[in-house]
Amino acid sequence: MEISVTLFGGLRHFLPAGSSFNKCSIQVDDGASLDTLLRQIPIPADKPYLVILNDEKVDSEDYAGIEIKSSDDVVLLPPIKGG
Amino acid sequence: MTWQRQILRVDLSSGKCDIEPLNMAWADAYLGCRGLGSKYLYEEMDPAVDALSAGNKIVFATGPMTGTMASTGGRYAVITKGPLTGAIACSNSGGKFGAELKMAGFDLLIIEGESENPVYLHIEDDKIELCDASGIWGKSVWETEDLLAAKYRDPLMRFAGIGQAGETLCRYACVINDKHRAAGRSGVGAVMGAKKIKTIAVRGTRGVSPGGDPKKYYGIINEVNARLDDREGMARDGTLAMIDVTNRFGSLPTRNNRSVRFEGADKLNPEAMHTPNQNGHTNIITNGACFGCTIGCGRICHIDPTHFSVKDKPQYHGASGGLEYETAYALGSACGVDDIDAATYAGFLCNEYGMDPISLGGSIAAAMELFDIGAIDEKTTGGIRLEFGNAEALCQIAELAGKGEGFGADVALGSKRLCEKYGHPDLSMTVKGQEFAAYDGRSMQGMGLAYATSNRGACHLRADPYGHDFETTEIEGKAEIVAQTQRDTAFIDSSGLCLFPGGCGWGLEDYRALVDASCEGDWSGEARMKETGERIWNLERMFNLKAGLGKKDDPLPRRILEEPADVGTGKGLVCRLAEMLPEYYEHCGWDADGVPKKETLSRLGLE
Repeated sequence: MEISVTLFGGLRHFLPAGSSFNKCSIQVDDGASLDTLLRQIPIPADKPYLVILNDEKVDSEDYAGIEIKSSDDVVLLPPIKGG
Repeated sequence: MTWQRQILRVDLSSGKCDIEPLNMAWADAYLGCRGLGSKYLYEEMDPAVDALSAGNKIVFATGPMTGTMASTGGRYAVITKGPLTGAIACSNSGGKFGAELKMAGFDLLIIEGESENPVYLHIEDDKIELCDASGIWGKSVWETEDLLAAKYRDPLMRFAGIGQAGETLCRYACVINDKHRAAGRSGVGAVMGAKKIKTIAVRGTRGVSPGGDPKKYYGIINEVNARLDDREGMARDGTLAMIDVTNRFGSLPTRNNRSVRFEGADKLNPEAMHTPNQNGHTNIITNGACFGCTIGCGRICHIDPTHFSVKDKPQYHGASGGLEYETAYALGSACGVDDIDAATYAGFLCNEYGMDPISLGGSIAAAMELFDIGAIDEKTTGGIRLEFGNAEALCQIAELAGKGEGFGADVALGSKRLCEKYGHPDLSMTVKGQEFAAYDGRSMQGMGLAYATSNRGACHLRADPYGHDFETTEIEGKAEIVAQTQRDTAFIDSSGLCLFPGGCGWGLEDYRALVDASCEGDWSGEARMKETGERIWNLERMFNLKAGLGKKDDPLPRRILEEPADVGTGKGLVCRLAEMLPEYYEHCGWDADGVPKKETLSRLGLE
């Protein structure tokens, strides 16, 4: 199945080739975990980010235990600050 | 030497301008800029005086890093008693004015008394004069700078002054330097207006050199500047990148904090700024940088000349400072307005008239809610339908507030006084009378505590709870984080460097290394940095206590404490301030009433 993932701010630099401005479509097997999905987005390990799944923040230790569905809204946010 | 070791004192009542030696013992304890300026203010004036009286003083303070080659080393601060808040006001700005003041030979400029007639201050190194400003009184910031630039014919002369809003004593009038950089908060521009000093024109040729080991100094400059090379898109997007983050997280204040998510954020975000509209017009032209900055987060923008706001006003068709994150919130989501050109125009007016866009937007948002509930009507507003989302009304009220005319004079009072006047004080989203910044204290609990305890009223730059707030809405640990980071930001603000590199590459150790390499004395230890920050924070608190503020002034509006956030990661939450505040006081070494304990003051040398 195909999952749409939105990346904001500087995380856009790590979108896979062929992505639109801040969205990419990631192909995963049915029943795949959130962790599996995120591993397909080439964000360097030293770049922190937050995962918002269907409007709720997900803790990193829960990534592996969450099964992704095709209707899911997955958003990655950089933890920037200021203004 | 990094400090110039002298201050300029201007007494507007007598017309005297004197150069005095800098108190180096105070520089040793308070570093510079925010800390040192606050120390002078605390020692020299009664905090209980009326902010708009001759008894108030206004200090323009540079830091030891101001004017150096360190990236972002162009900051200065304006410190005074704030007319908006009655608390200590310290508004920090970039641009090029601060470095120029330092290069003229001054760490601090202290202005006291009040002039009978409008004047401006002209500084060219040690040639200092108060000049008649009758020809520029009543002019905008932009007109004033153009007129004086033409007079002095020196392209490197820099200006910091007020527009009509400062003259008409708008409670959130700001000091604008370099046409679109602002010492924005707490009404510092109204203090200049009350003293009848229009602007400061400065040109300096003395340079600034490091006081320690130059080889070590330049080595560290190169090392830490390089860390800002990977800027996470900050040159392209600026601080506006934050709007997508908070909107999706659910902490973007919308419609006077009725909501924490704005459906029109996509029309105000970096993509909207970079994407041509139906006329082929693109809002942003380029980015801009302050003195010495290698990030360049500033937005240089222009408005579609066919847009309703400027179609008959060619004077606004050129480029100027565009929407930053805070202005996009205040003149956008806070008012429910998703028209990027209208918000940009209102932002231009803030720079031209000299108003803080955060407080202007917060005040208009409160007025829109008053209109929405029927507390005011078109008769009150002079025929303006002040509905949430009405971009034309936003622009009209911004114009009136800048001039202090019509209903704009009420909006120029600030949200707190406006809402009190019309019988609904609960609708003012303020702390100590100062409007919220662009983060909601329900989904970001640490920010709620930071707003409540900020010495200058609600502010997003007096603590650094961001990382923990994005991690969790649970409150454990937040009181300590807020208390600790308030000290850290006080230290950074006192250095002459910008807080922003802390969000895109620098750690506290980088700031410390820069200060240590450039300043006389040993600043290498973390303990000295922490203690200096803590001393400054407590000094500001003591100023406020002597001004009559206290625990009673550390609350949040009822909405944030009782009405749950409607969407996002904090959905269903209110700010748990009552649980965090006692713990925060303990971390500060204060008693249950928020008063620094004797042993705290003694340890910090504040007795």
